[in-house]
Amino acid sequence: MVEITADNSDVMHALDSRVHRRGERRDFFKAMMTAGAVGTAGLMLADRAAAQTAAPTDADVLNFALNLEYLEANFYYYAAFGTPIPVASIGTGGVPTNSLALNAGARAVSFSDRAVANYAREIARDELAHVNFLRTALGGAAVAQPQLDLGITPTGAFSNAARAAGFLAAAPATGAPTDFFDPYANDLNFLYGAFIFEDVGVTAYKGASPLLTNKNYLDAAAGILAAEAYHAAIVRTAIDRMGAMPGLLAARPGGTGRTIRDDTEAVSNARDTLDGTTAQAGPPQLFADDDQGLAQTTTGVGLTSNIVPTDSNGIAYSRSTGQTLNIVYLTPYNESRGGFFPNGVNGTIRTASGSARPAAT
Amino acid sequence: MIDQETIDECLAINARRRAARRHFIKTSAGAIVAAGGLSALSACGDDGENESSPPSPPTSSLPTATANDVAILNLALNLEYLEANYYSFGAFGSGLNATLATGQGTQGTVTGGRAVTFTDATVAAYIREIAADENAHVLFLRSQLGSSAVAQPAINIDGSATGAFTAAARSAGVVSGSGTFDPYASQDNFLLGAVLLTDVGVTAYKGAARLIDSKVFLEASAGILAVEAYHSGLLRTLLYRRGLETDAIFTQFGQISDARDRLDGTGQAFYSGAAQADQDQNIRPQIVGGLEQSNLVPADDNGVVYGRTAGQVLNIAYLNAGTAGVTQGGFFPNGVNGTIRASTIGAA
Repeated sequence: MVEITADNSDVMHALDSRVHRRGERRDFFKAMMTAGAVGTAGLMLADRAAAQTAAPTDADVLNFALNLEYLEANFYYYAAFGTPIPVASIGTGGVPTNSLALNAGARAVSFSDRAVANYAREIARDELAHVNFLRTALGGAAVAQPQLDLGITPTGAFSNAARAAGFLAAAPATGAPTDFFDPYANDLNFLYGAFIFEDVGVTAYKGASPLLTNKNYLDAAAGILAAEAYHAAIVRTAIDRMGAMPGLLAARPGGTGRTIRDDTEAVSNARDTLDGTTAQAGPPQLFADDDQGLAQTTTGVGLTSNIVPTDSNGIAYSRSTGQTLNIVYLTPYNESRGGFFPNGVNGTIRTASGSARPAAT
Repeated sequence: MIDQETIDECLAINARRRAARRHFIKTSAGAIVAAGGLSALSACGDDGENESSPPSPPTSSLPTATANDVAILNLALNLEYLEANYYSFGAFGSGLNATLATGQGTQGTVTGGRAVTFTDATVAAYIREIAADENAHVLFLRSQLGSSAVAQPAINIDGSATGAFTAAARSAGVVSGSGTFDPYASQDNFLLGAVLLTDVGVTAYKGAARLIDSKVFLEASAGILAVEAYHSGLLRTLLYRRGLETDAIFTQFGQISDARDRLDGTGQAFYSGAAQADQDQNIRPQIVGGLEQSNLVPADDNGVVYGRTAGQVLNIAYLNAGTAGVTQGGFFPNGVNGTIRASTIGAA
């Protein structure tokens, strides 16, 4: 229990504002019902086949985002509180994360740094709020929670992502790997797990912003985009604080001298490899190289950090929906499942970018 | 103080290098090289990296901006002038290059601003990064607006007894009615001054998103919104850790937040239509469900970050409460340039 030493008026104010904000959410429900901006019936009638070729509807885009929020919310909930998100938030037919053997090992992190524990709890509640908000906005059209892989098994998504970044040895030519990455083991591993997702969420929302047609959804999505950027900044700043220390790569053969900042570059490299090299003027505007770690630069004006991944105009990157799926499916190919979503995401937007996987030889 | 030419050159190289870095790292035959570890060869740290061949950014075909979009982007440009000067002075002891100050409207000068002596090298590195980003935002918006870009208006970022920061701090109660708040006097002060401005930038871009006509500008604006949120998240994270050590930081942060809330009156969550009297939040730890958590993201109960209307943003920038139609004051002594320049009604 932490004591709040300052004047209690701030605490009371915060509590009051939380109550007030819950009131706002009820207002939102009412507004959605009366305005019928996304009528449930209308969405249920959406033509799935057409959605693949025509521009996606707002409901398609919001459902796409909802899948990503399910992923983030469950990860942070496990890390912060030791449980998946409440069953009430996963929808009819949703797959409870703790019903799957592959989620073995997902658990509360025993944080050593009070500040990092505080961040985890704040972000967990934000991500659950995003899930609930999107589910409410979509009403009966909301997709249920798909299967998620947030465990620590050697062939699970976190271990495979860590393998792609070089934190683990390459998988053996025959047989399954036995080493694994545990994002719940300690503060740093947790931050790495979060780092894998957070910048991707920012680029996904930014890339989707020109797809939304309803101005109310755009207003809300811009606010969620900003929240994801805040989260990404928190995670990156927390990692950067330890940036000069030896990292996970330092423990690998030949890794002497590698720092935690180098580790983040390795994760960034892996994401860049997965999401391909498409460049287009857009919208969305895509760059061949759309991801950055925390490596510092030194110029005549002095050491400069890289908390914010931006292009040369000081603008955050976009990812297409397909590129976003490349990363969460952990595949460079145009597949519809894998990685953190073993059965794929739910909804009409579910195929990653890229070419077909080459036939096995 | 570093000369202006060096600063401009370095900022430009920084921008190119950040875009090129990944390319460089990937082409170094598997060797993961931190660019910062390479030795500096020139005034600007030309480390021999092949900066002439960064991956070419795709060029957007520039849409013909509607008058509405020009007005919105120009208001954003005024805010970027303010931020760019503040961070450039704090980081380098020098403001935005005068060649970037020209344009439509009345060009003004910058009052105040000086280099900060940072006690932590990492914090100094963060402020240089933010300065480079804000400089890039000014360049980008000016390039998009072309001849429609507004000039830099008169800006007051002074830390003296008569400066805008002192006026803001007195009104917030951070200092007494006769006290002085100098954001350049210490690292903590500079971070508080920075967050005062940057949090407002986030809400301004968020509030504008639904109003932009062009999809190209919308996406670019969303990208700047994200970057401002990264900056704000960085600053709030730094101040949070400071506050856990020294509680006065939380108190001061809360006073600044409350002052912004008083200045901007009652706003609205446009996506729901709900009125929002409180669109600003302190970072102080909260106990939720018996557990302590931070409050680094200024968001409503849906986890949606707050937005402000242009008028509300100007209420804060002009340090004006309670009066609609005010067109100058505070950080912009002669007002902003462009067609959106009036405050809305503030709190009574």
